[in-house]
Amino acid sequence: MKKIIDALPLVVFASLIIVLFSFLSDKDDQLETALIDSSFPDFNLGSLSDESRLLTKRDIIKLPALINVWATWCIACRVEHPFLMKLKEESRLTIYGLNYKDNKFKALELLERDGNPFEFSIYDFEGRLAIDLGVYGAPETFFIDKNGLIRERHVGVIDERVWEEKFSKYLNE
Amino acid sequence: MIPEFGHLILIVHLVLSLLGGTLPLLAVYANYRSLEISIKKLSVTLFLLITISFLSLIYSFLVDDFSVAYVAQNSNINLPVYYKLAATWGAHEGSLVLWILAMNAWLIGFIFFTHSKDKDFLATVFSISCQVIFAFSLFTLFTSNPFERILPIPPLNGDDLNPSLQDFAFTVHPPLLYFGYSGLLIPFAIAVAAILFKKDTREWASYSRPWTLLSCSFLTLGIALGSWWAYYELGWGGWWFWDPVENAAFVPWLLSVALFHSLITSQNRGVFGKWSILLSIFAFATSLLGTFLVRSGILTSVHAFALDPERGIFLLAILAFFVIGSLFIYSITDFGHVEENKYELTSKEFGFLLNNLLLVVLAISILFGTIFPLIYEAFTGGKQISVGAPYFEIILFPFALALGLLQGVALYLSWGQSSSFSFLPRLLIESLSIFSLIILILFVLFDNLYLGSFATIFLASWILVGTLQMTKKRNLSYWNFLRKRLAVTFAHAGMAILIIGVGVVSSYSLEKEIILSPGDSTEFSDQTINFQSIDDLLGPNYTSKSAVVSFDDGSELSNIVTEKRTYLPSGQITTEAGIQADLFKDLYVSIGDNLQSNIWSFKIQIKPFIRWIWLGALLIAIGSFLAGVKQFKRR
Amino acid sequence: MKECGKKNFLNILMNKPILFLLFIIFSLQVSVEEGQVNFDNDAYPFTSEIKESLFYSLLNELRCPKCQSSNLAGSNSPISNDLKREVYELVVEGKSSKQIKDHLVDRYGNFIIYNPPIEPATYALWFGPFILILLSALVIILVRKRII
Repeated sequence: MKKIIDALPLVVFASLIIVLFSFLSDKDDQLETALIDSSFPDFNLGSLSDESRLLTKRDIIKLPALINVWATWCIACRVEHPFLMKLKEESRLTIYGLNYKDNKFKALELLERDGNPFEFSIYDFEGRLAIDLGVYGAPETFFIDKNGLIRERHVGVIDERVWEEKFSKYLNE
Repeated sequence: MIPEFGHLILIVHLVLSLLGGTLPLLAVYANYRSLEISIKKLSVTLFLLITISFLSLIYSFLVDDFSVAYVAQNSNINLPVYYKLAATWGAHEGSLVLWILAMNAWLIGFIFFTHSKDKDFLATVFSISCQVIFAFSLFTLFTSNPFERILPIPPLNGDDLNPSLQDFAFTVHPPLLYFGYSGLLIPFAIAVAAILFKKDTREWASYSRPWTLLSCSFLTLGIALGSWWAYYELGWGGWWFWDPVENAAFVPWLLSVALFHSLITSQNRGVFGKWSILLSIFAFATSLLGTFLVRSGILTSVHAFALDPERGIFLLAILAFFVIGSLFIYSITDFGHVEENKYELTSKEFGFLLNNLLLVVLAISILFGTIFPLIYEAFTGGKQISVGAPYFEIILFPFALALGLLQGVALYLSWGQSSSFSFLPRLLIESLSIFSLIILILFVLFDNLYLGSFATIFLASWILVGTLQMTKKRNLSYWNFLRKRLAVTFAHAGMAILIIGVGVVSSYSLEKEIILSPGDSTEFSDQTINFQSIDDLLGPNYTSKSAVVSFDDGSELSNIVTEKRTYLPSGQITTEAGIQADLFKDLYVSIGDNLQSNIWSFKIQIKPFIRWIWLGALLIAIGSFLAGVKQFKRR
Repeated sequence: MKECGKKNFLNILMNKPILFLLFIIFSLQVSVEEGQVNFDNDAYPFTSEIKESLFYSLLNELRCPKCQSSNLAGSNSPISNDLKREVYELVVEGKSSKQIKDHLVDRYGNFIIYNPPIEPATYALWFGPFILILLSALVIILVRKRII
């Protein structure tokens, strides 16, 4: 009995070390997505190209689709831009843009210059839809399945590898 | 050349610390007496070596040698000289060298100030310490070498020191904290040697006590300075955030406090021997564990140390080797007959036992809460939670209450026998009087009373009365009585003052965000706030928008300056809060966003009694320092 | 001499419990009473002090999702300014503290609040400390004279 009590600190501490070691291996610093498997939130915002045109959830009709949160102030968005163009050119699926807290003219200029991968871009200057989506930075990409449910979300640059790992499986459902 | 020299010296230090970590043990245990070395000479040599190495790193900073990667990452030509000096320990690599330096300094202290006839025991303590120093040096050289060069083409200018670290408190805070952490090495080494030698509890406890007290004193100062820094530098007026990096310092602090209380009992009564050994090991373990948590990148924290999983594994290995090793020796050692010293439930021994129980469980809880988000994520398959201030405050409160109540009666208890509790009514009446007095003062000062602060204020009064014992009947004059226990009076009264500060600031604080253009004024509490002017300033390495905001309460006008600085090399923006500090209340303003041409938002706050928190901490630090020094005198 | 004076004053206060009680009751009322709110220059104007203090206390309890090591009160990043506005609007609408937290948790997950929820997966977190202290106190009292 006494031996067991004497060994107790050793056992407790050794298990703590093992637990900590297991935490070391892979650390994914993306926040969880609270909206997984729920339907896309309602919104009522102007279009980037024509602010008088009001967009709502019902305008997102071509499903499945990606919703890409982007802005001209976001450098990483420019990195992923060619990949979005490629997705569009290969017609893998429709991409809708969510222009986030951006200067409208700069944004339009960028699309003019580098090409526009988006069916349309929702202009969210105040970040309202972004909050409803749980967005905390740009770029972010959401996958909406054919039933209009959010299935996957990626924070950061999307490229071929991320597409294969996280998104392509939902397309083939 | 100088960096290579420093590098070389660091390698020599590594080799010598390995010798120090092995030869004395071989001499003692394998009886190769020919291997016996002078531990005094070796400890001085080690200290000199690490100091030279550290100085050469400082030199590289002062002469802007950007071919040294660490200098290039953390300094800049335009950085003021004072901060170039501080940048030496501002980031991971340099702070490790400072840490090793501190461990060596403690070791010298121990070797020269411990008078023991048992030379073998001293040699063993020295050797164990050297092993830890060796492990840290190895870690530094292999994963975090501060002398690494960027060759052949060094950058022309450095990246700059993190702007929020360019600040007075932050130049002093890390050294104090590292001295505090590393001081816990000595009690650890003594405890392990005590197991190996099956030392008499009273004897080894007397060696350990002063060092535990001194480390605790440094830890207290370091933590208090960190809190002060966060208060004015992070710009939102919080003084404790329960961030992992703060908890990583708070847990070893709690354990060091538990340890020296336990050592008092061990030294005086010969009891709690095994408990004190375990506490010594765990206090040291948590000081390493905290470092691991903050620097391995598994937790997000305010301090972004350059993160590297390799470092995490190395630190974990050091932790595992020393702590599991010592706990293993502990578990297989038969301590034989343990001195039995009967004590009653109302004796001083039991008081110390309760104190230790509460402190240790609190420390475990805070550690658990700090890593709980990781555990939760693992068990729920990726769901995340945050465990922050609201949780820790709820957990802390009952523990603090119990500890405080105990602290109030602690000094009345006597060793061994059942204490008489006849002092209780007196204590209660006196602390109620002090309580009412404080409440009255608060009412006069702030025209307001908050029920929420009553518990903490009563607790503080209770501790204060129990510490000062002004009206207790005694043979000595009050002054002589106080002088005899000056250290404990300082420390315990400090705790009372800290608790008053916490109680008042957490219920009487006022805050508001306002929008003003120059010339505008608004009302806030009893103050008229006026936005006087805003100007562009040019600092040595930053540009700044500097706003003058005046607070006028009808009798006193204070102009307070708050700045928004843009540091040139990095483009990083910091907010410098403007604070009018006062013993009873701080006026606090921090500039926010520029909304339109000249319209700015400001956050204004009134923080009553916040100074009392740091004043209390200072008294605790002084108290434990005095107590530590007194232990030397006694021998 | 000074201490004497303090004592006399205290004695008076202590010997007249009714006076003291009245003093407390009076002052409590002062603190509960709703003051006149002047919000011309407020960044977040409210019509009542209760809503205002709810707002500022929520800012301290909510975590900035972008910076991750500070609360909304301590962050000036664009996302936390948006979240402050969201919280402000909800407070003005008259939503309770719980409703507002739920609203944000629905979007950002429990990560956003510094106070973890009480659910089976967090029982260890919430009750562990108290169970541990009770257990160890029990053990110590029972085997006090034998182990230590």
